[in-house]
Amino acid sequence: MTKHYVMLADTTRCINCKACVVACRAEWETPLGFSRDWVKEVELEKADGTPQVMLFPGRCQHCDDAPCIESCPSGAAFKREDGMVLQDNCICSGCELCVPACPYEARWLNPETSKINKCTYCQPRIDEGLAPACVLTCVGRALIFGDKNDPESEVSRLLNDKDKKWERLTTDTVNIGPNHYYYTDGVALPDEVMPKQPEKHIANKVLENVVNPVGALGVGGMLATFIGAGLMKLMSRRNEVNTDNNQEEK
Amino acid sequence: MTNEPCKMVHVRDKKTIILHWFNAFCWLVLIITGFGIISGDAVRLMPAFWPEFMQWLFGGNYNLILGHAIGGITWMIVFLLFSLLNFKDVVFPFLKEVFVLTPMAAMRDAWSMTITLAHLFGLMKDIPVPPQGRYNGAQRLLGTMIIFCSLSIAGSGFYLFFGPQCLNFGDNAMYGILFRWALVVHASSVFLVIVGLVAHIYFAVVEERECLEAMKSGDISVDFVKHHNTLWYEQLKKDGKV
Repeated sequence: MTKHYVMLADTTRCINCKACVVACRAEWETPLGFSRDWVKEVELEKADGTPQVMLFPGRCQHCDDAPCIESCPSGAAFKREDGMVLQDNCICSGCELCVPACPYEARWLNPETSKINKCTYCQPRIDEGLAPACVLTCVGRALIFGDKNDPESEVSRLLNDKDKKWERLTTDTVNIGPNHYYYTDGVALPDEVMPKQPEKHIANKVLENVVNPVGALGVGGMLATFIGAGLMKLMSRRNEVNTDNNQEEK
Repeated sequence: MTNEPCKMVHVRDKKTIILHWFNAFCWLVLIITGFGIISGDAVRLMPAFWPEFMQWLFGGNYNLILGHAIGGITWMIVFLLFSLLNFKDVVFPFLKEVFVLTPMAAMRDAWSMTITLAHLFGLMKDIPVPPQGRYNGAQRLLGTMIIFCSLSIAGSGFYLFFGPQCLNFGDNAMYGILFRWALVVHASSVFLVIVGLVAHIYFAVVEERECLEAMKSGDISVDFVKHHNTLWYEQLKKDGKV
């Protein structure tokens, strides 16, 4: 069976030590001020008025219907069979059309390489049978990574545990099949971590809503016009030949 | 009935003919490969199977982009060299004949193009096409459009290929903005040219096969010129060529 990799984050075990961020930055040598993963702190007020801090380790959610792939003109953003959304740096132009498309704000332009950067679940490590750097260094064991299609895997066991409700960061309007799950021990997911509406650069909108439909209409219209003209010419030629034949017979 | 061969006049030299067919070949290859490059569902110009097929054929989009760029750069270099070497005797006279630069000239040409198109469908039969020069209204409008579109395709294509290689897009947001708009300019110019080429190919293959023959041999029948391009016929007569 094909593998289906997912990441699980148990927010009740995260202590905001940011070891995952450090490990990721060391693994991928991201420039100062940039990281492929993060821990988002959300302050809430409980029903009894006492404050609560929730911690959400975040990264690319490797969505099934990833809008970043739809917006990428060169196909540099692509999804592998095992569910990972990856980035081919050889053909990435750094045009950033994919950046506003991501509802989780997981993509950014690397100022050093001029290419788009994002979490790849540490794909080269996974291919070698290793765990992602963030998972390996998570001191609280808050991050769990594995193959959802393997019934023996830890992620399968956790996701099938009826006592634990694992949720994904989706809304009624943004539900693009993220492959990242969160456990909050029953606390509702706060708005602060929910996905934003995917956006598009104006050039993307012009291409999608003006150039492509108008171009298709123009080319289609011209083809229809001249196929019509050709057929009319063919019919008139056939009538001429018939008339000539009739006259010759007479 | 006489078997006298129709009189021909030589109107095109070999290098121009070769350039035309080179241009046609380049356009075909560049359109086929170019439509295969743009992949994302929200931006691609063709149904998904085309980019998938082309990228499979070239062993990935990297090779396809490279092939498209090499084709495009070759097309640019050949045209540039031809224009520089033949500016006085071929390029300038062609531009002088074909450019439609004033609104009045554009309206005049659009009107003669409308009549020609209407005649194809048996409409406006009682309105004759106004006398035309070497290039008729539709050819002049198409020629002007293709010249401008070719320049914008070459410029935007150059930036789309070399921009990400030579500039660090992280240094200045303008580089990325320019790239995104170059993509829009490149795609819309290509669509405009294709729209014009549909008509160009139809007239050459179906309506005026003499023109297609002239683009192979360089010769055209005097009767054809007299009938379709009266003003040019008068000019040829004045120059003593017919």
